[in-house]
Amino acid sequence: MEAFFITDSDFVSFLSWLEKRGDLFVATRDEENNVKIKPYSEAGEFKYPGVRAIQPLKPFFFSMLEEVAEYPVAEDRPIEAKPFTIVGASACDLRAIEALDRVFLEGEFKDPFYEAKRSKSLVISFDCTEPYETCFCVLMGVKPYPEKTFDINLSKVEGGYVVEVGSERGREAIESNKGLFKPATDRHLSQRESIRKEVEAKVEGQSKQFKPSGPWQDVLAKVFEDPGWERNVETCVECGACLFICPTCQCFLLYDEKVKDRYKRLKMWDTCAYKNFARVGGGANPRPRLVERFRHRYYHKLDYFPKTYGFEGCTGCGRCIVACPGEIDMREVLKEICKV
Amino acid sequence: MKNVYTPIEAEILEVIDETPTIKTFVVKPKEEIGFKAGQFMELTVPGLGEAPFTPSSSPSQKGRIDFTVMKVGTVTDALHDMTKGQVVGVRGPFGTEYPLDKWKGKEILIVGGGVGGAPLRALFLALVERLGDFKKILYCYGARTPADIVYKELIQKEWPRIDPSKVEIRLTVDDGDSTWKGKVGVVTTVVENIGLDVNNSVGVVCGPPIMMKFATLRLIELGYPDETIYLSMEKNMSCGIGKCGHCMLGEYMVCKDGPVLTYDLIKDKPALWD
Repeated sequence: MEAFFITDSDFVSFLSWLEKRGDLFVATRDEENNVKIKPYSEAGEFKYPGVRAIQPLKPFFFSMLEEVAEYPVAEDRPIEAKPFTIVGASACDLRAIEALDRVFLEGEFKDPFYEAKRSKSLVISFDCTEPYETCFCVLMGVKPYPEKTFDINLSKVEGGYVVEVGSERGREAIESNKGLFKPATDRHLSQRESIRKEVEAKVEGQSKQFKPSGPWQDVLAKVFEDPGWERNVETCVECGACLFICPTCQCFLLYDEKVKDRYKRLKMWDTCAYKNFARVGGGANPRPRLVERFRHRYYHKLDYFPKTYGFEGCTGCGRCIVACPGEIDMREVLKEICKV
Repeated sequence: MKNVYTPIEAEILEVIDETPTIKTFVVKPKEEIGFKAGQFMELTVPGLGEAPFTPSSSPSQKGRIDFTVMKVGTVTDALHDMTKGQVVGVRGPFGTEYPLDKWKGKEILIVGGGVGGAPLRALFLALVERLGDFKKILYCYGARTPADIVYKELIQKEWPRIDPSKVEIRLTVDDGDSTWKGKVGVVTTVVENIGLDVNNSVGVVCGPPIMMKFATLRLIELGYPDETIYLSMEKNMSCGIGKCGHCMLGEYMVCKDGPVLTYDLIKDKPALWD
């Protein structure tokens, strides 16, 4: 792929151009030094994030709550979205977008709301330089630097960024700002390379003790009945935080309500941790016990998802570990049960 | 972009009482909707929400679709209170169908129970409309009591007369009453001496989970290979398009990969019968 270089100050000019293109969201740091993706106007300035943001990018494409239909209808209203740019997607965020793209855009029926937003997005990613202790992307086949699914990728080097183009849309954005981008030099590229190696080694190092003996699917095939699931669910309070914060969790609930003389259909994030999630009208429930729902999450991410799409439905971002009030660490659970 | 979440309005033309807890709603959608036997649709009670049902009318019938609905929950309770002239919504069809073309030249064994007779009626009607394509049809149906039999007139009088050389109907009830002259026992008790060549046959099972489990085991006992046993799975199908996650059965989204699934694909899945 083609690589360019842009200086820190020219990048600010590039952001101004992006702001004219549509809504612009950038990574910034809050008072507690956490990375957050915010509207550029609120963020004040872009700061190279170095690590994934607190929030997943899922809501940009798959809203937490949105109206998806109104009835009775004469005819469908067009489903449209405004162009927008996200500056600050980590490699694990990109893997999550790849997963959601497969879920919502593949098959006989696409989700038209996801498609509308996704088709208007420009995603600018970055190489991780300061991974968290909870990061384990490498266990899920993801490197701490983007390899695909981005429009443009940034790698922090001295004085600016190495810029890589990942899509036609990314190329157009760069060509419209030709004066800002110079060809990357060998020095830039070797600097990028050594930072990448160093960061990857760090994440590999902290993940080593959790490495499975083979593909997750094979490992999980042997432990469905393991008593470890019972032991590890003890501190789960069924809050669903791990699932709502998960960048790949796709589940949603459709519900209808009456508004004056019309009816609206809403689509809201839902989680398989909740007791009646899979219950049918007649009362049968495939997963009445919490431990069964707890286990389902692991199997969906690491067994069912790969069976359908060929890669894990977990990105190793570690957000679920941070979010859990019961201090459940997915890596520890898998280590204990799979005896990795 | 077509909005797959929008229901199409459908007027209720007729409501037929089948049993004390089951009614058939004949509806006329505003747009023509085609479906294949086995596929399901989402029925909307305006303002309340949706539930999945497999139509019970023949797929070849134009302009109207029957849904046979048991009163079991919020949406079905509300449906049961609806009357002729009121409007519901329909989305679909979704999911897999019974592969009738693949079954050409075969003997078809159908085992049904309770409201599971609904999808099986659509299938049965589709089969008899091209009866020349199949060697035999044996339809075994069980209900809790004589009053719980759906489509009493059809199943007791009309269907046995279609072509007795090719089509056989066997009926049973778990508990008979003073008027009942037929068989008493769970449906598997009539799935014996089937007179079919299991090497050139397929089995179709639809009904309450416990009945489906034992009927499937019975078919295996009779020598049906797993891949010739077609199950119509009931899970919590909500979006209908394989996205919302509620109907997962192992890696399958039953709304997209099912509801018709062969036993070989799902026999090892967790909570298959729950």
